[in-house]
Amino acid sequence: MAISKSTQKARKKRQSNLPYLYLLPAFLIMGVITFYPLIYQVIISFTNFESKHLLLGLRSPELEFIGFKNYIDIFTAALPVENFNFFRVLTFNFWWAISNVFLHVPAGVLIATLLNTEGLWLKKIYRAAYILPVVVPPLVVATVWTNIFDERYGAMNQLLAIIGGFFGNPDPVYIRWFEDVKPPIPGFLPGAPLTLAYYAMMIANFWLGWPFMSVVATGALQSIPKDLYEAASIDGATGSQQFWNITVPLLRPAMIPAAVYGFTLSFNLFNFVFFMTGGGPARSTELLVTFAYNLVRNLRWYGVAAAFAVIIFIVALIVFLITNRITRATQNYQEAG
Amino acid sequence: MASVTFQNVFKKFGDLEIIKNLNIHVEDKEFLVLVGPSGCGKTTALRLLAGLEEITDGEIKIGERVVNDVAPKDRDIAMVFQSYALYPHLSVYDNMAFGLKLRKTPKEEIKKRVNDAAEILDITHLLDRKPRQLSGGQRQRVAVGRAIVREPKVFLFDEPLSNLDAKLRVQMRAEISKLHQRLQTTFIYVTHDQTEAMTMASRIAVINKGLLQQLDTPQALYDKPNNLFVAGFIGSPAMNFFSATLNVSDGKVLVETDSFKVQIPEALSAPYKNLGGKNIIFGIRPENIHDPEFAPPNIHGEKVSVKVDVTELMGNETFLYLMSGKNTFIARVDPRSKKRVGDDMQVIFDMDKFHIFDASTEEAVR
Repeated sequence: MAISKSTQKARKKRQSNLPYLYLLPAFLIMGVITFYPLIYQVIISFTNFESKHLLLGLRSPELEFIGFKNYIDIFTAALPVENFNFFRVLTFNFWWAISNVFLHVPAGVLIATLLNTEGLWLKKIYRAAYILPVVVPPLVVATVWTNIFDERYGAMNQLLAIIGGFFGNPDPVYIRWFEDVKPPIPGFLPGAPLTLAYYAMMIANFWLGWPFMSVVATGALQSIPKDLYEAASIDGATGSQQFWNITVPLLRPAMIPAAVYGFTLSFNLFNFVFFMTGGGPARSTELLVTFAYNLVRNLRWYGVAAAFAVIIFIVALIVFLITNRITRATQNYQEAG
Repeated sequence: MASVTFQNVFKKFGDLEIIKNLNIHVEDKEFLVLVGPSGCGKTTALRLLAGLEEITDGEIKIGERVVNDVAPKDRDIAMVFQSYALYPHLSVYDNMAFGLKLRKTPKEEIKKRVNDAAEILDITHLLDRKPRQLSGGQRQRVAVGRAIVREPKVFLFDEPLSNLDAKLRVQMRAEISKLHQRLQTTFIYVTHDQTEAMTMASRIAVINKGLLQQLDTPQALYDKPNNLFVAGFIGSPAMNFFSATLNVSDGKVLVETDSFKVQIPEALSAPYKNLGGKNIIFGIRPENIHDPEFAPPNIHGEKVSVKVDVTELMGNETFLYLMSGKNTFIARVDPRSKKRVGDDMQVIFDMDKFHIFDASTEEAVR
């Protein structure tokens, strides 16, 4: 009896160790490519790490630990960088993400609802067409839209000139979309003036962003039972009352996670912003990620960039926790029936 | 309170004619059941009345008003759907109040009507719940409640019990009948289940392939079906049919099938005396075929030799599946019958209760 008990114990121990053995290779790889750089970054965020330290790294004799100076410099706009203010970038970054979501979600829902109309011709072709922007590489999109907003030859200014001509103003239009630093609507967003470049980016990103929302909404719309609309029409609901009382609340469980996803996507939309405005003019369209990239790529202030990255990480973590909460709070309505 | 009239109503979907020249007049406060097999057009007829489909030709009247071009919401009707169609995001209270809120009914009035309806349906304790927290039967009640609070002129029911289990269905059947008596309003009810039709209706309209077959009280439909379809559709188990010819000799009328002959009683034979040699379909209901031991006295019984193929003991009655030549049919006999599978026996056809249909037109001959 005693013997069998002890062998049982040994077997149990062997079994409980085995999973760790299996996990080890993955853990080692993650350690090398994820955790080591992460910790390294946190360490150098407390130093004055620059290009000259790249060779010897942390063993470099001139490397100084400067405590929270990098962080303080970032928050107090003490960096010797023109037009840089952390809180302005942060405000703009949030506003950018929120305004995109608030534009894309309603547009996606509206267009999906219109395309869901019964008896609409060529429905499938429209649905295939609007998915196209999603599959075009952002670099191409940014290039095309940069050209559209070109001051002299761009389609946008020409379009505005035609519209102006229609109203009796034959002058050509030369709006400097990406250079003008004067905000067209002053004081619209306190702390972060929105330049024309922001509006140009909003237009371009609208083209890029609504189709995804529309795809999600289309799927959700098709899962709303038709007889709910019939019941509502007998109950006395007009078309718009049906939209607000049935379509909108029943789309919510699908659209909130999509909106959260859209928010995080816009929040870190590096490639599109970088290729289109590069954060300009005067850093007015800079996102946290594009500015971090600038610190490394152009200024080569690795220490500052590391501190900045840690800040972004914390901001992203907070955003993630909040959005996660929102997503989980979204309950799924079970169909009646 | 209103009558409902279908006048020469047609409905086509493309080239498909779903409803062909439907004429029904439903009296005020009547409980009319539209019954028929799946795809016969009965639900379409109801949806035409609700305004969920447009009619192709003809006229539909609610009261004296032609409602062909009236929007569903202005027809003063309420409908209970097969799927219940409850708004999943609203509580039971809000589901029931939805129509009233849209009509800008005062809040106090809404509250009173919803509470009254909830009390009638015994769902007061569920008012705060969402539909997904309810059982099938409870959802059914809410769907009915949503109709009641509107106080419409006409209630429409589209197979409301078909998603419920058998026991609940029987219970709800009785409750809907009770509700009709209580509300004193016109009810129009669609079902494919002839039992529901028989138990609840004041009159039944039997529809097949878009055509109205017969419109009458349940008992009249059962006793005097106009044609072969109605005879076969109403009643469970269904009426037995035999291909036969009429043979008239010496003033006696005989029904001759390929395996047996039965005589039509003198008193009932008048309509058939001139139809000698005619191909007919002879029909008799299972309960009118008896085990000789338990046959009621004073009937015009005709003996037929059969072999018992299957027996089904139900407790209060026994179904015998019988064979006579190539004919197979069912008898519903006294449970004390001792006949078992494989037995050869004679059964007695109660010839006071037969049905004869023209073999080519399938219309009743009487």
